[in-house]
Amino acid sequence: MRRLLASLSGWGVNVAIALTALRVNLMRSILTALGVMIGVFSVILAVAIGAGAQVSVTESIGALGTNMAIVVPQPDRRGGGPPSERGRLTERDIRQIVRQVPGVFSAAPQLRSTVQIIAAGRNTSTQAVGTTPEYGAVSNISAEEGRFIEDSDVNSAARNVVIGRTVAGDLFGNFDPVGESIRIDRVPFTVIGVLESKGSSFGTDNDDLVIMPISTLRQRLLTTPAQGPDDISIAFVGFDDEAALIAGQKEIKALLRERYRVPDGKINPFTVRTTTEIAEVTGEATQIFQALLVAIASISLLVGGIGIMNIMLVSVTERTREIGLRMALGARRSDIRNQFLVEAAVLCVIGGGVGLMLAKVAAEAFKRFADFPAPIGLGVAIGAILFSAIIGLIFGGYPAIRASRLSPIEALRSE
Amino acid sequence: MTPLLETENLVKSYVMGEEVIHAVNGVTLSIDHGEFVAIMGASGSGKSTFMNMIGCLDIPTSGNLRLDGTDTGQLDNDALAEIRNRKIGFVFQQFNLLARTSAVDNVAVPLIYAGLSRPERQEKAIDKLRAMGLGDRLQNSPAKLSGGQQQRVAIARALVTEPLMLLADEPTGALDTQTSLDIMTIFQQLNDDGITVILVTHERDIAEYAKRQVVFRDGKVIEDKPVKNRRRAPANA
Repeated sequence: MRRLLASLSGWGVNVAIALTALRVNLMRSILTALGVMIGVFSVILAVAIGAGAQVSVTESIGALGTNMAIVVPQPDRRGGGPPSERGRLTERDIRQIVRQVPGVFSAAPQLRSTVQIIAAGRNTSTQAVGTTPEYGAVSNISAEEGRFIEDSDVNSAARNVVIGRTVAGDLFGNFDPVGESIRIDRVPFTVIGVLESKGSSFGTDNDDLVIMPISTLRQRLLTTPAQGPDDISIAFVGFDDEAALIAGQKEIKALLRERYRVPDGKINPFTVRTTTEIAEVTGEATQIFQALLVAIASISLLVGGIGIMNIMLVSVTERTREIGLRMALGARRSDIRNQFLVEAAVLCVIGGGVGLMLAKVAAEAFKRFADFPAPIGLGVAIGAILFSAIIGLIFGGYPAIRASRLSPIEALRSE
Repeated sequence: MTPLLETENLVKSYVMGEEVIHAVNGVTLSIDHGEFVAIMGASGSGKSTFMNMIGCLDIPTSGNLRLDGTDTGQLDNDALAEIRNRKIGFVFQQFNLLARTSAVDNVAVPLIYAGLSRPERQEKAIDKLRAMGLGDRLQNSPAKLSGGQQQRVAIARALVTEPLMLLADEPTGALDTQTSLDIMTIFQQLNDDGITVILVTHERDIAEYAKRQVVFRDGKVIEDKPVKNRRRAPANA
């Protein structure tokens, strides 16, 4: 019982002794804590950036349109052969998919072309997307000003175009572009609307494009015509919910195999990917990215820990006589060991605490100036402090044990 | 009554290269409760090594050491630490006070290891400092105290756990003559109050304040005699 009380009050005393010792060598203590501070700072920030990347990936997937399947015909490598091996996709296929696959609420075709746009003396290069009005619902996109393309535009192959925010800014600055005339690859078009901004995902600007009727793109802009009059390069299929999407992926494959008479055993001349799969793959990628970031940051924490060990060894050497004296006055080996352990832990916890606060400030700055969320949860904060203390115990352990193993008389005799 | 301290053929030897040096070479000695012993000898005579062993700071190579009836050869490190804490008070030549630490906190150090609470430690430390005439220097750090005052803080620290004996290794070695006399007076008063004092010194006149002189040479006791004309400093010195 006496031992228990002694050890409890001993820890409090050890903290007091540690604080005194650290105050005596203030500059050295600050520099040592700095190592741990930088380590904890970088680890926490790495975790926060990883978490932020996770959030932004989720948002980017959302920007693609939720519960969507993307059907892409595989380009034919030999430039010939029967249709079952030639990757093709047509607007008729899309109509069949909408009709036959359960849970599909809409589907839209896409043809793409890189185009040069001239307006009011300025010009810009961007992607022209040819599609149908369904694209709006499937891709979760709409016109913020003016209107989106309509069936009548598609039927008449009208030279109407909806432009993205970035394109609008490049060509018209702050002026309202709706109703203006522009030339796309020398063909005159009328701007009928401006798309709502979708920001960027995976480093791609989602607003750097123009959308026009697929018929217009096919007839007016494509220099090398597609294989057939209604061939498309991608189909976007929107599903009611995730369950329908997962089931629908197989249905689409089966339907297309049947339509193109792909024999059993032959691989599909097309791919069907779902937003769920993309989310999983990119989610994994971000996790690997986060793990890498944390691993690199951990190295600086390791270096900080070695700094602690170094300084504690110096401290033990410098204070050998004090250790001898304390032993002469009745300190047990465990008392000496605990004294130095606590000293290392206190250094680490102070360094870790400051590192945590700086990481919080940096995360806030990221959010404010780079529009990148880097959340630091309470769990991470508490974990960081505990982890710092553990670093102290691990790297302070060797010096502390060395101190406790000193012979009282030799320690007392040292100068 | 069993003696406070009994050594039987106590030996401490060191191996230096191929040579074995016997710092203490078979010392058999008995010291009773209430004695005041001066251990004398030239440097290298083994007196300090002997002192370190009876203070449980150093482990004998062979021989027996019984302290207050306990055979210390059977004890582990923790038990030896407890004996140093409870039964022995050390006074050193260089005082060995913790720098930048107040007199009270210096005196209270042994009580930390005895497991006392902070208020208890403070109370006992202040009592001992007052008894040493340092009631007005409680919060001073060693740097703000004279040599004599520092040694009195050290004596207060040695006494704070109410030990059976004081072991003082050249306690006046770093002090001037007058201050040395003051310190010896304190030892005599403490001895009069019943505590056993064992003192290592090479100064003949300091040794004359003790009741018994033990002289070492080459690791052995060559003389063990009572002090005939014991010096007594005036009580108000």
